[in-house]
Amino acid sequence: MRRSSYLNLLITIIISLIAGGIIMILLGHNPFKVYAELFKGAFIGKFNIGNTLGRFVPILLTAIAFAISFKVSVFNAGVEGELYLGAIAAAWAGFAIQGLPKVLHILVCMIVATIVGALWAAVPGVLKAYYRVNEICTTLLLNYVAIFFTSYLVNNQLSSHTGIPQTPKVLPSATLTMILKPSKANIGIFITLAVLLFVYWLIHYTTLGYKIRSVGSNPFFSDYVGIGTKKIIVIGMLISGGIGGLAGGIESLGTYNRFLDGFSQFIAFDGMLASLIARNNIKMIFIIALFLASLKNGALGMERFTSVPKSIVDAIIAIFILLTSLEGLINIRRKVKTIEA
Amino acid sequence: MDFKLINKIIEMININKSFPNVKAVDNAGIDLYQGEIHSLVGENGAGKTTLMNILYGLYQPDSGKIKIRGKDMESLTPRVAIELGIGMIHQEFMLVRELTVLENIILGFELGKFGRIDFSKTKEKINYYLDNYNLEIPLNKKVRDISVGEAQRVEIIKTLYRSTEILILDEPTAVLTPQETKKLFEILNFLKKDNKSIIFISHKLREVMEISERITIMRNGKHVNTVNKEDVSIKELAKMMVGREVFLNIKREPCKKSKKILSVRDIYVTGEKELSKLKGVSFDVHRGEVVGVAGVDGNGQSELVEALTGLRKIEKGDVTFKGKSIKNLSPIEIRKAGISHIPEDRNLRGLNRSFTLYENLIANHFNKKPYSRLIQLNKKKITKYGNRLIKEFDIRPAIGNTVAVNLSGGNAQKTVVAREVDMNADLLIASQPTRGVDVGSTEAIRNTINYIKKKGVAVLLVSADLEEILSLSDVILVMYEGKISGIIPAEKAREDNIGILMTGGKVK
Repeated sequence: MRRSSYLNLLITIIISLIAGGIIMILLGHNPFKVYAELFKGAFIGKFNIGNTLGRFVPILLTAIAFAISFKVSVFNAGVEGELYLGAIAAAWAGFAIQGLPKVLHILVCMIVATIVGALWAAVPGVLKAYYRVNEICTTLLLNYVAIFFTSYLVNNQLSSHTGIPQTPKVLPSATLTMILKPSKANIGIFITLAVLLFVYWLIHYTTLGYKIRSVGSNPFFSDYVGIGTKKIIVIGMLISGGIGGLAGGIESLGTYNRFLDGFSQFIAFDGMLASLIARNNIKMIFIIALFLASLKNGALGMERFTSVPKSIVDAIIAIFILLTSLEGLINIRRKVKTIEA
Repeated sequence: MDFKLINKIIEMININKSFPNVKAVDNAGIDLYQGEIHSLVGENGAGKTTLMNILYGLYQPDSGKIKIRGKDMESLTPRVAIELGIGMIHQEFMLVRELTVLENIILGFELGKFGRIDFSKTKEKINYYLDNYNLEIPLNKKVRDISVGEAQRVEIIKTLYRSTEILILDEPTAVLTPQETKKLFEILNFLKKDNKSIIFISHKLREVMEISERITIMRNGKHVNTVNKEDVSIKELAKMMVGREVFLNIKREPCKKSKKILSVRDIYVTGEKELSKLKGVSFDVHRGEVVGVAGVDGNGQSELVEALTGLRKIEKGDVTFKGKSIKNLSPIEIRKAGISHIPEDRNLRGLNRSFTLYENLIANHFNKKPYSRLIQLNKKKITKYGNRLIKEFDIRPAIGNTVAVNLSGGNAQKTVVAREVDMNADLLIASQPTRGVDVGSTEAIRNTINYIKKKGVAVLLVSADLEEILSLSDVILVMYEGKISGIIPAEKAREDNIGILMTGGKVK
């Protein structure tokens, strides 16, 4: 990623904010005031900044999960399902396994969540690699299976019997310590950042990363130099699903301290969006995920203190997506021109 | 020859054209007289095609003058060019594979009224050209079923049908057999007699000397010289083209035939097309020997290479390498057994175009010490390794972080060759190692093949370029429709007897 593309990103953000401002004027509001509230809602005060971080964590993790699958040219639309399964697995491990010290218990829960997510994602991975089954189809459909399955569990075997579809609270030894109280932020943010660094290292500095990048960018070359393309696709999906599951685990242990039925309103699709906008570039994903999280969290504050509906933020995001894809188009045209030369 | 330079119909003067980062045409030009065949020669990237694309109106020049029949052309579009009688036949044929020959010819210029095509009138018109220029093609066959030579004739008729007076042919012989080339030259001479003018782009100098009256040489976008055929030799032409002496017909090292290393026994392999299925192919390769595989593209050569390198399944028969069967092993197992492979398509298989030079060069070794430990890559060692190869094989630009998509054809191919040769395998399978590669790199690659052969490496060389096969091989296999139609030792091999075998004929 070159410096100019960061500059492009900045310009794109500014233009979409200006466009959002114009819409606000048309609706009869002072855009400066609204943006000030939006900014306050996202960053000012422990509570706001904490909640922004709390939103940032699952968006970033699911974005990374999606990006890795994309790097082995699998379009994993099933991160949402992996997130749910990871969440319920971690919650179960959090209340059912007893007598472990705090750090170890958290570790066990996270590992369980990761494994469950990974195995779930491996199914469409194997189908894609060995039987050429379209992965968008399988992953999207498996989402429903996963979500309804967790819903079933939380209403039956794993129910807390409180009338609300949720599991019992996880034990204190499995709870992720809160930071920036009274917000929902927790030490999951550090786990997330560690995952980000690990993935960056994995992709760019290891033999496995070499294989992953190779398979994703040119499977013919990979077959020819003897990188087992099919195996790498499955491994890519395992990692992708694992990170998706981990994201769910952090949500359960940190944000809710239990598994809550239907807790994620398409978080993984926000992550997918972040990854696609960032063209699956790990460094860029960090920035985009933060941008999305702040807008979404800031919107709550904005709605509270001005009468601007928070859907305006969705409009801004939409304009932002339009502009970035436009930029992609321009880049492609430029490339075509140089190739012709 | 009754030809005189009287009527100048095209003049391109001081043409300049830049693309981002490249000056493709640098103050170059060409002129063309009526009834002349004028050759335009130069290495890849010399600007020949760009210059012709400007004449055909596909690109606008940055500056310069184009005169057609004495008239200044301010702005030229393909439409205008066609109306002025200019026709261009590109390297890749612009034909619709699913339509018949006839439909392809008339596409866009149908005769008839109210959306109804008048086929009888059309056929009459086409037959006129067929008879006049001795072109033979089956009008009712679909394009996907005809041969490359026939497809090219379709392209020629297509342009004639559009009342072309000036014909531009971009490397027309690159894909033809010697016999088909001969046929093409006959047609071109017919056209010339009919007072049509032809610009013939090529880098095969022997053909240029055979067909043209005048020759224009370009190098690095610049016009080097325009000469009469009588005044130059092939050697001088090559020198002008490359800028230094070249020795393409390298001296073949005598073959010290020794132990058998690869033995292919009666193998059957599925093919992309019916024609290219392998049906019982057998041969041997010895250490220190270059075995050339000649044949018209698509007669099973690609399938043979893929079968030997583990990329395609062998259904029947056996392949033994150093005494062990390697039939249907995975590509990595075959590599480990000691076979390296230069694939025919460097952009698809040979290189990962989004990888850097370093990453491409290390592809055979990245999994081993010292280039990685456990799973961590050792970037320092990889860089050092890459720099050594870049220097040894003279890959330019000599910057290892260059992304492969930015390499020229010749340097991309050198990268593949460097990586595969440096595997130090016992057998190198080289498929079209110099296709679309400039003369300088071709020379270097051929020398490399000759050099490793001297060191005792066995080489299986598959090439559509007969000259290359003849100059490098000790034994030549000719493939036709998935079978070996003849095995000829180098001493007895000539273009004509191989050419006959390539088209399915018999040699006594």
